[in-house]
Amino acid sequence: MSDSQSDASYFKEVVAEIEAEARRRSSSGEYPRALLRSLDEEFRRWVPDASLENGVEDTIRAIEAAAYVDPAVPVSSRTPMGRCVKWVVRRLTYFYHRHMAQQITALGIHITRPLRLLDASLKSVHRRLAALEDRLDVDAAVRSELVAGIPTFSSHEQFGEVLGAHFDKVPGRVLIGDLLEVQLLGTLRNEGVDIYGVASTDTSATEAVDVRHENLFDHLGDLQNESLGGFVLCGIPDRGSVNEQLRVFRLLLSKCKTGAAVAVIVVHPETWAAQLGPVAADLLHGRPMHAETWSYLLAREDASEVTVIEASDSSYCLVTANLP
Amino acid sequence: MTSVHQLVPTISPRDAVGNHTLALREVIRELGFESEIFSMFRHPDLMSETHYVDRVPGDADALIYQLSIGSPVAERWARHPALKIANYHNITPISLVGKWDGLLAAEVQLGRDQMARYAKVCDHAICDSDFNKSELDELGYASTETIPVLFDLIQATPDPHALAKLSNNQRGTQILFVGRVAPNKAHHDLIAAVRTLRELHNDDAHLHFVGTDGPPGYRKVVETIVTHAGMREHVTFHGSVSQEELVAHYSNADVFCCLSDHEGFCVPVIEAMHHGLPVVAFDCTAVGETVGDGGLLLTDKSPSIVASALHRVATDSGLAQRLCNAGRRRANLFDRKVTRERFRQHLSMLLESL
Repeated sequence: MSDSQSDASYFKEVVAEIEAEARRRSSSGEYPRALLRSLDEEFRRWVPDASLENGVEDTIRAIEAAAYVDPAVPVSSRTPMGRCVKWVVRRLTYFYHRHMAQQITALGIHITRPLRLLDASLKSVHRRLAALEDRLDVDAAVRSELVAGIPTFSSHEQFGEVLGAHFDKVPGRVLIGDLLEVQLLGTLRNEGVDIYGVASTDTSATEAVDVRHENLFDHLGDLQNESLGGFVLCGIPDRGSVNEQLRVFRLLLSKCKTGAAVAVIVVHPETWAAQLGPVAADLLHGRPMHAETWSYLLAREDASEVTVIEASDSSYCLVTANLP
Repeated sequence: MTSVHQLVPTISPRDAVGNHTLALREVIRELGFESEIFSMFRHPDLMSETHYVDRVPGDADALIYQLSIGSPVAERWARHPALKIANYHNITPISLVGKWDGLLAAEVQLGRDQMARYAKVCDHAICDSDFNKSELDELGYASTETIPVLFDLIQATPDPHALAKLSNNQRGTQILFVGRVAPNKAHHDLIAAVRTLRELHNDDAHLHFVGTDGPPGYRKVVETIVTHAGMREHVTFHGSVSQEELVAHYSNADVFCCLSDHEGFCVPVIEAMHHGLPVVAFDCTAVGETVGDGGLLLTDKSPSIVASALHRVATDSGLAQRLCNAGRRRANLFDRKVTRERFRQHLSMLLESL
């Protein structure tokens, strides 16, 4: 048997030993399963859903960058004479190159414009589909009727001071939405927090406070990533479907800067069901998520100092955390 | 004089396909044929010795197309009346790049489409590996042959500064991977394996990545994973390095580990073997046939299995020595002189009727 053959069979034996031993240790629990699984999950979590989201935007940007043609031809050369000749030729032919370059650049822009339209149209379809998914489970009219019956909790007296301290020294503006209680915004501004509100319904906001009257999803869709110093999520946790709650949470996280402070005002599902009665509790089943669920979601984002503070009547609570 | 020209979408001096194309031109010229390289995107350093693609002579006798990505250059080759030879270096499947880079996805999709369409117009195809050959055979290419890519095994001396820097504060096993930071190279699997090695085998291991950035989204995700895994101090991205620095990396590392999900050949595996570095690799696509009997080929790349393999190589000096020797023997089979001779003989037979 040659060296090569004997090495090959030895290496195969070694691999078989290694694989058998590792499998035996994994199955016997000698290797912690959580450790072996966690990075794989972590990677899958960060893999982009499809190139239809940011991929299209990046692709169009790359085409736009490539479509710009520079008419200034490089004149570098190994010899000074060559450089001089090239420079003269460039000067003499510049009118021609510029004319050609302008036409090619214009062509590039004409190509990317419809691509941008297509991208916008796709995003709009995506948003409408998501909205449709939210409304599929119960008739829209019934849903709005039931949602209108959900009482607004007065949280500014309970949590104003805590939130003021929580958002002290955040790295940017703080967003509060979906804003149903304009007093909370006023209280936080008085506490010195640089905050603005987004309200999809009329909140009778005064001109003294900064409130954008638009759908929170639309507002977040137009907002640049990593532009917020923090957020207070309210309204949606007790009125939106689970899908809406998770969607708005993901969107808000993507808009937050490193080290942002976050807060979620959460009604207890039991209180919520008791106040609404059996019909709404059945038809809007599962909508408010427990404070523990919000804490879990925040912990999965590696948020630190996740804290749950109960309101005095225990009907709702405040979950606060700091993002990494 | 009989002319045998090459067409290539992009030509660059620090790129495997670019170096191969330049080396192949010399082989063709040695056979007594006129040979030039035509490309759409030419690196400034190669402007004087290559030509823009619209200069391909209409009366060329044979055209070799370097197929590794979709390109309009392929259309020119396919429409030309000359004898058509494809030199296939593999195209990464869209499933591995589509989510990360829209433009690259469009290019690889075009490449795969062109590859399928040209099965009937291509007279002969030369493939880097049997894995690549099997892809073309499946598409109905009538005549195919496997000859590895032409490359120089680096003979440079290690950069002393780079070597000193790498050796500094070195405690545990030093693991090296060389390749573009791209999803098909599975950097994320290597990070998982090295973290497992650190935690389960109590090894203060360090992972070194050498290579240019691929899709920016992938690099960002890999960096995020490094942070979330608490590996920021134990993983280094060195980026693109000089030949001397690369040799310093090969000299400093204890083991070369490749967990790629898709490779058409994988030159760094041979370079690592040439520098006496034990190789541990995941057996998939062409990696298995490149590593051959010169390294440990794993059939499963679960973090615990890869970590165990790395630990075994790091602690069993007898195994490491046998891997070094076997690797060197294996690398000699891919020596440029050997591959050049194979190309010379094959092309002279193929082109003798011209």
